[in-house]
Amino acid sequence: MSIKTEKDKLIAILFEKHPVLVDQWAKSAPIIVNITVPWSPVTGNPAEGPVALVTTAGVHLKSQTPFDMEDPEGDPSFRVIPSTSFTTDLTITHNYYDHGDADVDVNVVFPIERLDELCAEGTVGRVAPRHFSFMGHIQGGQLTRLIGQTAPTVAAELKKDGVRAVLLTPA
Amino acid sequence: MGLIQRAIEEAGIPTLSISLNRTITEKVKPPRAVLVGYPLGHPLGRPCDKKTQKSLLQESLTLLRDIRVPGTLVDASDRYRFNGTLIPPV
Repeated sequence: MSIKTEKDKLIAILFEKHPVLVDQWAKSAPIIVNITVPWSPVTGNPAEGPVALVTTAGVHLKSQTPFDMEDPEGDPSFRVIPSTSFTTDLTITHNYYDHGDADVDVNVVFPIERLDELCAEGTVGRVAPRHFSFMGHIQGGQLTRLIGQTAPTVAAELKKDGVRAVLLTPA
Repeated sequence: MGLIQRAIEEAGIPTLSISLNRTITEKVKPPRAVLVGYPLGHPLGRPCDKKTQKSLLQESLTLLRDIRVPGTLVDASDRYRFNGTLIPPV
């Protein structure tokens, strides 16, 4: 394990145990401050679907290339998670939060099974064919790539799937 | 995450995110968000707590339907709050 990985994981554990540290970091961190808010009005009941999940928890199929943990500006690429995936097909690559509990139950960060259950019960009409996953902690030039390329690409793919509601989960 | 959410909303799809930190969410200003009282790495709460996870997901969909003001950040009920343990209830 590299020194960077060890340092990142230690900070992640501290942030999980002490939320006040997250807040102190957030107040001074170079986070983009937006003034305006984009808005798409809801028509009908969005739970009728298709409903898709988008997470920044670093979830991906075991068969997919892991997110890059060595670039200090993060990895703005995304992974397509077919909604038919089993949780046993999934893993997490993300050193900037402690995913010990999410490794036990991925629904803690990516509620793929809970969404299927709501669909089976009739609360959700249809689940989208594809969910999407990023890793958080994107900075600098990679943030530009996220905003200009990969996030709009995922938005276009969701449109192609006819998605009518997206729930997003951080980590 | 809020930046990705904003891109999806700009493409014409209504979105709602679960937030783990008020300060970050207020800066990024996603269209709709629900703030839970869980630590990082636990937006849906405790592992294997299916009942609470499903309930929060359902509540999120209801908020997505009902929020009418852009940039609304709703505080989740106390049910979705860290109460000193992340061990699932028996």
